[in-house]
Amino acid sequence: MNQFQAVLQARDLLRTHGRGESLVHAVDGVDLDVPAGQMLAVMGPSGCGKSTLLHLLGGLERPSDGEVWLDGRRIDDLSERALAQLRRRSVGFVFQAFHLVEELSAAENVELPVLLAGRSLRTARRRADELLAQVGLDDRARHLPWQLSGGQRQRVAIARAMANEPLVLLADEPTGNLDTAATLDVLRLFEDLRAAGQTLVIVTHDERVAATADRLVSMRDGRLVDDTWMADRRQPVDGVHGWEG
Amino acid sequence: MGRFLLVFRLVWSDVRRHPGQAAMLLLSLSVATGMLALGGSLGGATEALYRHTRAVTAGPDVVAVSPDNSAATARTQDALTSDPAVTAHSGPYLQYYSKLKAKGSTSHVVVTAADAEPGAVDHPLVTSGTWVRSGGVVVERGFANALGVRVGDRITVAGRSLPVIGTAVSAATTVYPFAQLTGPDGGPSDYSGLVWMTKQDTKPLAAKHLSVSSLLYLKLRDPDATQAFVSAHRGPTVYANFQSWQFMIGQDATIIEGSQPILVIGSWLLSFLAIAGVATLAAGRAAKQTRRVGLLKAVGATPGLIGAVLLTEYVTLALLADALGLTAARFTQPAVVNPTASLLTTTAGPSTGTIILTTVVALAVAILTTLGPTMRALRTETVAALSDTARQPDHRSRLTRVSAMLPVPVLLGLRLIARRPGRAFLQACSITATVITITALLIIFVQRQVSYGIDSPHLGNLKDAQSRHMIVVVAAALVVLAGVNTLTTTWTTALEARHTMAVARTLGATPGQVTAGLSAAQLLPTVPGALVGIPLGIAFVWPFSAAGTVYPPAWWLFSAALATVVITAALTALPARIAARRSVAQTLSAEIT
Repeated sequence: MNQFQAVLQARDLLRTHGRGESLVHAVDGVDLDVPAGQMLAVMGPSGCGKSTLLHLLGGLERPSDGEVWLDGRRIDDLSERALAQLRRRSVGFVFQAFHLVEELSAAENVELPVLLAGRSLRTARRRADELLAQVGLDDRARHLPWQLSGGQRQRVAIARAMANEPLVLLADEPTGNLDTAATLDVLRLFEDLRAAGQTLVIVTHDERVAATADRLVSMRDGRLVDDTWMADRRQPVDGVHGWEG
Repeated sequence: MGRFLLVFRLVWSDVRRHPGQAAMLLLSLSVATGMLALGGSLGGATEALYRHTRAVTAGPDVVAVSPDNSAATARTQDALTSDPAVTAHSGPYLQYYSKLKAKGSTSHVVVTAADAEPGAVDHPLVTSGTWVRSGGVVVERGFANALGVRVGDRITVAGRSLPVIGTAVSAATTVYPFAQLTGPDGGPSDYSGLVWMTKQDTKPLAAKHLSVSSLLYLKLRDPDATQAFVSAHRGPTVYANFQSWQFMIGQDATIIEGSQPILVIGSWLLSFLAIAGVATLAAGRAAKQTRRVGLLKAVGATPGLIGAVLLTEYVTLALLADALGLTAARFTQPAVVNPTASLLTTTAGPSTGTIILTTVVALAVAILTTLGPTMRALRTETVAALSDTARQPDHRSRLTRVSAMLPVPVLLGLRLIARRPGRAFLQACSITATVITITALLIIFVQRQVSYGIDSPHLGNLKDAQSRHMIVVVAAALVVLAGVNTLTTTWTTALEARHTMAVARTLGATPGQVTAGLSAAQLLPTVPGALVGIPLGIAFVWPFSAAGTVYPPAWWLFSAALATVVITAALTALPARIAARRSVAQTLSAEIT
């Protein structure tokens, strides 16, 4: 797959809520191709449908109409079971609220998707050790989420999202709950991932995040209103942690 | 007054928001207190009925039973009636021991030769039809019920067919089937009913050379001094056995002696299930309650007011459940304490002691299960309570490590157990309580049934039937409550774990795996709970078992335990399935807001 081949595609994607007079078009006729290895930032005001679009792309929600294709396979009509298996192998999620399992340590959180994929505990441990080292948290592996700072928690969440080497990483406001230093840490990680060829779709309000993207799409009222390939606009982020994929 | 109204309004609004939880609390506590009240009411209940019957029918203080109608008997009876301690007497009445056939059943019967006008002592109360007249027979009410005969039916007494002209109740005899006052060991003999006929109609019985005894009913100056009177008339020249009214109370009570331990032990098991259910509810609502406390604190409510709001709801529901349970016990008590209908039923409800006991139990269940979450909520700082960040989860690394080596559903189930090990323990204990009762039920049902009739299976054993009815009722109540608890626990677990399960689904867990995980969280403690219930059930029955007690085959008991596990699995499947189908995106979004 070359870099111009879309790994993730949306065709005339529609997602509505309610009916009658209270009908809301959260996502309204979105067409989108995300090439492999691209870092795509989705921006727009609150309630414009960014997060819904991300959920549709990752199979967490089903579209009311339209199609979603991942790696050449249509996914919007898959069963819940098949979607789960697809997410297991091909999609990694990072959320604004981190969504770590509170009673599991950092390492155990990273091990979880590997175990869910049916791999051995030894494999899961090895993978968690590698990933936590890559996000600079190997010394925090046994800490519970509440014992970590917001930035550290988000780095654990990124490590967890990468545990099964997904085709695409979908991030929903990943820096929304972070201070400046932690935001920079996360941006460095995303930069490292992008450099390693990882496809990223990042929903964000943060101009600093958008500034590091290869491409910026803007949404308003559920529609894509702007799509700019911004290779020349990408700003460097000082790399701290090397990503080995 | 304003403060009271405020508490009431806050409590009422919370009950309206969670009607299902209020209903569940009412159901579990009502059943438990009702059973406890019923069990508590049995002690002395028969005595109350007998005293009432004795008062209404002018029952004797002592019945002197002589084994024949010889001259020696006559001398004894003269001596007794001339004793200054005796204020009145009736009789002597001859009793013939024969057989009776009715409605296809054959039974031993005691035929009493009665006066058309009863004497000074013992006025049997006619409950239907008329008192004795020539050519008809009056059947003691309990015996008539057991035979299924009514006024107008024909029965055969000692080979003679006669119409039933009435049914009656008397305190001069013990309840059916103990009508034969002198048995082989001098006490009442099992499995005889009582009928009354005119003296004229009993004459053919005398000609048949049937066994006969002569009864004298005595009223004493001091009705409580029966023992002294009987002791004064012991000796080789006294040709009689004596049955005091106190003895009859004891004998009558034996008909329900198996019921009381079943009901009392059953009520404690039900109380435990109520505690488990209410505790699960309270813990499941703890997070919401904490946020509610934060809101109340934020608007200036004092800890005292907040504590009153949180506790008042459960205490009020507990008191309401107690009232419902006591009312149910009040209406079911007559059928339980008077299964033979040989005694007159009174309208007395549970005693004051029983009411206090059930109220204390209901309040204890409500307070013990809600006090912890209430105190935790009160101690939480306002900001922490509002953001619900007060509780830091426990890390159970060993269990997490072990679960990592297991299939995904078991992994998820074990990790859910690790979040709430106390709840898993309660679930195991609930299942143990249920299997204990089912085991006891099976043991009782495999015992050999001795019919009260002669080769007449339709004339059932009321005493055993009473025990069977009670254990079935207790088992049914336990199964229903355990089922409700399982549903509640699964749903509460699913609600509490919705975030974790949603995260697991974003990481690739299928809905089926999440459903199985939620079910596994209930089933993993259910299996040991069911297995432990078998020996404990046998141990519970053992103190009440006699020599020759038959035990059901082991495979019956293991099948019952297996059935319990399967039913639990089925009950968990529905709430687990509903929870697993909840939108992941919505769940995770809700966590942010």
